[in-house]
Amino acid sequence: METELFVRYGPALLYGFGITILCWLAGSIGGVIVGFILACLNRWGPHALSWVIYVYVEIIRGTPFMIQLFILYYGGPYIGLVLSPVQAGITSFVVYGSPYFAEIFRSGFNAIPKGQIEAARCVGMPETRILWRIILPQMLVPITAPLTNFFIILTKETAILSVVTVPELLFQTQTMAAETFTFVEPFLALSLFYWLMVLVTGWIGAKVEQRVTRHLKRA
Amino acid sequence: MSKEQMTTTADDAIITVRNLSKYFDDFEALRDITLDVKRSEVLCLIGPSGSGKSTLLRCLNFLEQYDGGEVHLDGELIGWQDISHNPRKPLSGEALRKQRQHIGMVFQHFHLWPHMSALDNVAEALTSVKKLSKKKAKEAAMAALTKVHLEDKAENYPANLSGGQQQRVAIARAIAMEPQVMLFDEPTSALDPELVGEVLSVMKDLAAEGMTMVVVTHEMGFAAHVADRVAFLDSGRLVTCVPPEEMFGREPDDARVRSFLQTYRERNVV
Repeated sequence: METELFVRYGPALLYGFGITILCWLAGSIGGVIVGFILACLNRWGPHALSWVIYVYVEIIRGTPFMIQLFILYYGGPYIGLVLSPVQAGITSFVVYGSPYFAEIFRSGFNAIPKGQIEAARCVGMPETRILWRIILPQMLVPITAPLTNFFIILTKETAILSVVTVPELLFQTQTMAAETFTFVEPFLALSLFYWLMVLVTGWIGAKVEQRVTRHLKRA
Repeated sequence: MSKEQMTTTADDAIITVRNLSKYFDDFEALRDITLDVKRSEVLCLIGPSGSGKSTLLRCLNFLEQYDGGEVHLDGELIGWQDISHNPRKPLSGEALRKQRQHIGMVFQHFHLWPHMSALDNVAEALTSVKKLSKKKAKEAAMAALTKVHLEDKAENYPANLSGGQQQRVAIARAIAMEPQVMLFDEPTSALDPELVGEVLSVMKDLAAEGMTMVVVTHEMGFAAHVADRVAFLDSGRLVTCVPPEEMFGREPDDARVRSFLQTYRERNVV
């Protein structure tokens, strides 16, 4: 193992890690927000809209992420959408993630017993208040695990962004490998970085789960 | 309905139900129900399963949209904007919420919000609907919990309360809003026999304080001893509505009522 390599390529790898985290965080948080809006529109919006959402969900879930990324990055300019690699990476992450998040939120909405919502209406609570006070806090219980899961899946999907020259972790690692003719060291480092992200994500997920299930513990 | 009819029937009626009908697709759940509930009256709705008792109750606060007829609370038409217009248009969410604040409801399965303590369950609508300050809401919520003898359980989550205690919290949640009437939908049907008594006793206290109550129940003892009148429904129709002495005291005229009550007689309930 040539540790000297890490000294030389360390800054590049760290930069790549930074770009990976930026794309992952911005993309998946954007995906959560868009997914939540989709799920809300699907539940409370006009009926025609839920068909549009259904088609969107099916198309995005039915095609590979790499193809979506290609279409956005290379096809975008044809309709006047010129994005930098990082911009394209984050946007495609939002597009790719939002249907999955929307489905997770949909299942969360459905997990709240109808009677609780009726009880809230009976004391005159407005629908938005019911959403924030009754539905959301409780739906975190069934959706935290699938949300954490999907965040973890997305950490590794960031590697695909290298195909449109986003200077993220895999891109830097490949550069390092190509320039030094080493493979074990760069890809070992790469795995460690992803593993670190997954570890932290999983830990945060577990903490959130502990917190949102407080009320279910019997004294 | 014309104005003079309103005034003649409304002497001290707080709820008036006129020619109420309700369909679930093709199924006729309620047919032509006409009924008054007077101020401070306790009206029990009894009858076999599927007879429309709960549906009738749920029409009173528009949890079910009734199709024909009218429901008035204190002279105000419940749920619809105006019934001369066809098809009927429901009230705006805002207007419906205003009406519902005057109508407390208690469910068979409590429907407490499990992620909130007993106190927060009661205080929630006081802050979000009545716009009380947090402190005022807590005080009022505590007063309501004290009324149902649960002041020492205020910090418990529903998961740590017995069924009877949960139902009493649900009652506190409703009465904290200071409604004009209270609706109970089989409030003791989901409880262990041991826990039924504590809920019924809270309801008796409420009745004694002069609360107007409409109670769907299978507790014939409660109907016999607390109700001012008992209504019997069968197949979506109001068969009879009489004082309990008439319902339980003598052999009923109607064959359907007779056979229904017979099953209770055999168990020495009434």
